[in-house]
Amino acid sequence: MTRARLAALVLMVVVCLVAGLSAGTVPLSPAEVWAGLRGTDAPAALIVRELRAPRVLLAFLVGGSLAVCGAALQAMIRNPLAEPYLLGLSGGAGLGAVLAIATKAAGPWAIPLAAFVGALGAVALVYRLSLVVGRRLDPRVLLLSGVVVGSFFIALMSSIMVLSDSAATRNAFLWLLGGFGTSSWQSLAVFAVYAAIPLGFLAFKARDLDLLALGDEPAQHLGADVNRAMRVVYVCTALLTAASVAACGIIGFVGLVVPHAVRSVARPIHRTLLPLVFLAGGCFLVLCDVVSRVAVRPLELPVGVITALVGVPIFALLLRRTLA
Amino acid sequence: MGLLLGVAACRSHAAAPRRLALVDDAGDTTLVAAPASRVASLIPATTELLFAIGSGDAVVGRTAWCDYPPAAAAIANLGDGISPNLEAILATHPDLVILYNSTRNAEAAVQLRNAGVPALRLNTDHLADVGRVARLLGRATGHARGADSVAATFDTALAAATVEPGPHAPKVLLLVWEQPPMTIGRGSFLSELVERAGGHNLFDDVTASAGTVSIEAVAARNPDLILTATEGPVSFIARPEWQVVRAVRERRLIRVSGSEFNRPGPRSAAAIRELAERFREAVR
Amino acid sequence: MIIEARDVTARYPRAARPALAGVSCGIAEGRLVAAVGPNGSGKTTLVRVLSGLLPLEGGSVVVTGRDVSAWPRQELARVVGVLPQREDILFPLRVDETVMLGRYAHLGPLAASGDADRLAVQGALERCDVLGLASRPVDALSGGEWQRVRLARALAQQPRALVLDEPTASLDVRHEMELFELFRRLVDQGMAALVITHHLNLAARFADHILLLSDGALVAEGPPAQVLSREIVGRVFEWPVAVTPWSDGSPQIVPLRPGERAP
Repeated sequence: MTRARLAALVLMVVVCLVAGLSAGTVPLSPAEVWAGLRGTDAPAALIVRELRAPRVLLAFLVGGSLAVCGAALQAMIRNPLAEPYLLGLSGGAGLGAVLAIATKAAGPWAIPLAAFVGALGAVALVYRLSLVVGRRLDPRVLLLSGVVVGSFFIALMSSIMVLSDSAATRNAFLWLLGGFGTSSWQSLAVFAVYAAIPLGFLAFKARDLDLLALGDEPAQHLGADVNRAMRVVYVCTALLTAASVAACGIIGFVGLVVPHAVRSVARPIHRTLLPLVFLAGGCFLVLCDVVSRVAVRPLELPVGVITALVGVPIFALLLRRTLA
Repeated sequence: MGLLLGVAACRSHAAAPRRLALVDDAGDTTLVAAPASRVASLIPATTELLFAIGSGDAVVGRTAWCDYPPAAAAIANLGDGISPNLEAILATHPDLVILYNSTRNAEAAVQLRNAGVPALRLNTDHLADVGRVARLLGRATGHARGADSVAATFDTALAAATVEPGPHAPKVLLLVWEQPPMTIGRGSFLSELVERAGGHNLFDDVTASAGTVSIEAVAARNPDLILTATEGPVSFIARPEWQVVRAVRERRLIRVSGSEFNRPGPRSAAAIRELAERFREAVR
Repeated sequence: MIIEARDVTARYPRAARPALAGVSCGIAEGRLVAAVGPNGSGKTTLVRVLSGLLPLEGGSVVVTGRDVSAWPRQELARVVGVLPQREDILFPLRVDETVMLGRYAHLGPLAASGDADRLAVQGALERCDVLGLASRPVDALSGGEWQRVRLARALAQQPRALVLDEPTASLDVRHEMELFELFRRLVDQGMAALVITHHLNLAARFADHILLLSDGALVAEGPPAQVLSREIVGRVFEWPVAVTPWSDGSPQIVPLRPGERAP
């Protein structure tokens, strides 16, 4: 990568992070942000240090993780429309969250944990359904199973919500729409430590992704252990996405749009693509979070709404460029 | 003799059904055979009012949320009232149905009228609605005098309970949901109660009925008190990200429970008094 | 002998009949073997079996002395370069990037590419005469150029044997001839090669040895002149043909129309 491009990339990341720290209900100048980070006791400083900093960093990490998952899945399933949530995750997470709320599970971590477990449960079910004879994962079946299982879990979740006589359960979807409003240094630390492992594994599989994108047979003939690679990619994306749901609800489109946007300006070789996608995804989600905080202040919009509103036109633009 | 005649006239006057043209809050005019003696009330507020004005015997159906007065429990439960179950309603053979004035219920109202049952859609969201709705229900069920009495008592009690906003009116965050944190703006019922109890809604610049807020916004506005009316354990006060808010650190939390904080009605004055008392305690 | 199949029987999951039954063949250095036969005769299955993708029901496949199922995939790719019929181009790479993918066999998932790899890629591009197309995206190539690029990728694996499944399908005569000349050159330089093809006449002219498959069985094998006789071809392909020798001695097949007779 050329030095100029690298500099531009670093600049983009810095600008996004600064924007994330400056914007919000109380607009702060970068100078105030800097003062706040260094630690005065002014109320604005407290906001920057305790609320905005972990929030922006968490949004960056989650955005990067979701984008990397999207890129890896698109290569593995050989479908440019693949998204982490196509694996049935959102349905599973929703069901888990609703069950936690309906059973009044205690503790502030109850709902995220339940969503996490639910997401992984859905993924395991999709995996099982997709295994064809010979214990190989067929990507086409994977997509279909993901949609089917996801819809089923969403139907279950909706039934519980409608039939429940508790207002809390009926409003469970509010948690799912999610956002970064309750980010803390604690939740950031948990996610960061946890996400490092699957991200690392995905990085190791970058070359395999290049081969997988050609097809199962060509990849095997070139020397890739396709079954192992698919399992690793599948498990890692599932873990990362489930953790993202637990951290901040369901945020779609990042995994779909960001990889395509990056591919339009960078080589699709995954060794260089994945790190770029991570950075771009992080910046994208940070900026979307800024919009969600600022658009209707002092209220907030769910971040997932912003990513869709922004993501869809970008996607349409990309489509036009590739088809032209 | 005159007394006997008078009594007979009163009774016959009360017994003779008249066709009343009533205009409901959706702007529709409906012919009601007054006095209605079989009322399906699909709004908790109107169930309360019907009992209050003396028409409790006429109520033949209620929603699952109609928890006051206790006598309402004996009446048939017709569901949650949000998407009315028309079959269940018609099974009680009502001669009047009261629906909440939402666009969803417009369809239900039309279907009920087609089935020959008059349906009224009413707004029962604010304190100002109480008098009007009470009088309407009174005319429909033949308890106009009871309704007038309730309305008058309501106005007086409300005026008596209302606290003048002083210079130290506490700023109150109305936290109606924890994950994600949500508040309600001015004009909502709970906000009305808080204002009348001498407090000040932290987000009274928000016109939407409910919306997600960031903890940052709360911290920036620095409320004196946090008011929650949700059921279930309150877990947010222990969470690290909330400690930025002074009221959380100092545990200045008020919890209220009870349906009198959800809907306007004869109990509203008592609710305001309770709130005012809690405010005074909290800022002491 | 690089790859040797002995009495191989293989069946697809839940299939009633085996796709290959009792087939034996060998791929040796300096020899171009062509596998021909009607549709469904088991040619692609043979490719899968020789590369260890399809487990055997009977018989064995041995690659340089070791059973194929004992070879880890990455190691096997250093010995045998296989070009399957179909391949997706999902995210088009450049030609040089595509050929570099062939170095996975030597680099594995982690190692950084070095001079040896760049040299191998360059050599492969040259041998397949696509060096001038190095920076072209693969979705901008013609059919013939794309096949040569795929072949270069296989050569970048630095294999000892090539197995090519219908490499000239849907190519025009010029590209076909160019490719077969290229195969011949590689074989003459020491490569072992098995080419699956529909084109009996090209097989006749370029191959040293023909395998004629029908319904999963090897019905004839040997030099082209021996296998591609009027009687054998007409029986196996269920169509009357005439056979005329070309100046290089290879038999050229001419399918007959109804009413025509062989001269």
